Amino acid sequence: MKGVRLVSLLAAAILIAACGSSTGSSSGKVIKLGAILSITGAGGVYGPQSRDGMKLAEKQINAAGGVNGAKIQLTINDDASDKAQASQLAQKLIQQEQDLALLGPTLSNSAVGAHPLAEGLKTPILAVSTTGIHIVPDCNFPATAPCKYVFRDSLGEETAIPANIKSYAEDSHPKTGVLLVAQDDKFSSDGGQIVQNTVAKYNINLLKTIKFNKAEADLSPYVTQAVQLKPDVIFITSLGGIPAKIMTEARKQNWTGQFLGGNGFNTSTVSTQAGASGKGARSASAWYLGNTFPSNADFVTAFKAEFNKDPDQFSAQGYSAIKILADAAGRANLSFSDLAGDREKLRAAMETVDIQTPLGPFQFTASHDVKQTVWIIAMDGQGGFSLVHEIKAS
Amino acid sequence: MGQQLLNAIFIGSIYALFAVGYTLVFGILDILNLAHSAVFMLGAALTYSLVVNHGQSFLVACVLGVAVAALMGLVIEHVCLRPLRRRHAPPIAALISTIGLALVIVAAIEQGRPDTIFSWLWVDGANSVSFPASAVPNPTWHVAGLTLEASKVAIIPISIFLMLVLGFVMRYTQVGRGLRAVAENPRAAQLMGLNVDRMISLTLIISSALGGLAGILFGVALGDISPYIGRDNVEVRGLAVIVLGGMGSIPGAVAGGYLLGLIEVIALVTIGSNARAGVAFAALFLMLVLRPQGLFGAQVREKV
Repeated sequence: MKGVRLVSLLAAAILIAACGSSTGSSSGKVIKLGAILSITGAGGVYGPQSRDGMKLAEKQINAAGGVNGAKIQLTINDDASDKAQASQLAQKLIQQEQDLALLGPTLSNSAVGAHPLAEGLKTPILAVSTTGIHIVPDCNFPATAPCKYVFRDSLGEETAIPANIKSYAEDSHPKTGVLLVAQDDKFSSDGGQIVQNTVAKYNINLLKTIKFNKAEADLSPYVTQAVQLKPDVIFITSLGGIPAKIMTEARKQNWTGQFLGGNGFNTSTVSTQAGASGKGARSASAWYLGNTFPSNADFVTAFKAEFNKDPDQFSAQGYSAIKILADAAGRANLSFSDLAGDREKLRAAMETVDIQTPLGPFQFTASHDVKQTVWIIAMDGQGGFSLVHEIKAS
Repeated sequence: MGQQLLNAIFIGSIYALFAVGYTLVFGILDILNLAHSAVFMLGAALTYSLVVNHGQSFLVACVLGVAVAALMGLVIEHVCLRPLRRRHAPPIAALISTIGLALVIVAAIEQGRPDTIFSWLWVDGANSVSFPASAVPNPTWHVAGLTLEASKVAIIPISIFLMLVLGFVMRYTQVGRGLRAVAENPRAAQLMGLNVDRMISLTLIISSALGGLAGILFGVALGDISPYIGRDNVEVRGLAVIVLGGMGSIPGAVAGGYLLGLIEVIALVTIGSNARAGVAFAALFLMLVLRPQGLFGAQVREKV
């Protein structure tokens, strides 16, 4: 009787193994990925969008048999837009959870802590929405040595903001501008710095730079100060609900000029909050909803079917990030037993990624940054965006 | 400058209303109630939840919001203050216990997400939200080059009216006399037959109701309600206001509130925008050095 049971067990084991090998060599294995996102707090208007994009990609890849048979297991971890919490989460995901690679964090401000940590612990981390200066290649702020393990698939503000200002200057030849910048946030102050460095090139006289703190609820005195200078353009480099609040307040105070901004504008949440006040506000984006090339059209259709809403740039970058990691993992010949070795293999494979994504054809530059077409978009006053210009990667 | 003066008066009214509650407790108990900013936030958050998540009208929500804030006053008294008073703990112990309660309240709101045990209270986690225009209409007028928003304009008479009522109650009514007697000397007041515990409870109820209402007005006028509005916007500024006005003085808190609103705007216009955040501390520091009793405070003689 014992022999029969043993034989049947063996038979079952062989059968399972056989089934497994039919779907891929890594069947039954799991690729653990940890995303650190700002689901709540100042970055709470971006994080959930990235999450939805990532979840969709995870679901599609697993439904199609995984990565050589291995399932992707993605956890979403909320850093509440808090720098310290982002670093703590990175530590936990790398050391306790033993994730193969990390994604995020949402905000550049938090990346300052989390990225050097991942670099130190030799774990690949793919930034999906951080656009500040010095995210790549030199993650060890303020040291400037290139980081081996830090990548990003989001368009840096150093590319996006000048592109946006240039295109508006060519269209409308503005003479004067005022900059409103949140001074206590890396993303925002970096953006402000870029605006300051760029305007002179296009003969825009920056009348004043008005700095405020991002936690400040009462922005009206700052807006009053800006509006009273009667500028042609108000530049806003800030994030979360702040750009929308500034636009609403400025329009209430009867100002009719042009808003120009950065990546902080590029989500439907901000466009919705700004409503009619935001109509025409321009920014440079890494992605545009209306693009019809197949890798984007398919993504948009699948996203709408899954979440019953339009994706935005952050969803597209989150989705692309999982596709990039899956592609790299598929080519990395992972052992699933030596974590440190697998992380190193994945890192090497990421450098040679070449796939189609909703952002367009995707590759990393030698410094782990993204090289892509820039889309100049404008808020449509109803929570969406319209395309103004397309600027090809030079 | 006209628009900036208006901005100063709007925000000054909120500072004043918040600080009046703050200073009331200090005047009577000699204790800084650091949970006051959490009650401020709770008033705003709860009113928002009632309107947006529970479909109440704005007025009903306001009344309930203020009522719950007032009840929090009782909680502060019974949880943070009375047990310590019974044990003759030093004021620093009460200060710390109120900080503790403030952290608990903020954390509870912060944890409020859909499908959590706090979802009846708040569902937006650490996010900042604002009242939908359909629930709280906020027309805007342009008069002589000035922008007037209904929600902001309304704050001024509401604040001034409430502060006048409080001033009247404190000065001319039996309850006010009782409160002042407790402030003067609790032991003597007790010997005269006053129920000191009840007077203290009443103080905290009034103080917290005012704090909650200030929070609601803040949330409506500035379109910003999050678990952190108390901590980030009024906690330290409130302290500066009552130091400016004189610790424990109600007229002082009112004057201090408007003064701080004004100082902040003047700093913004003359020195630069990044000075605004720090100017409250500078004012607090200068006042402590030059006139420690504040604008309206009496010179305190230590009894030997």
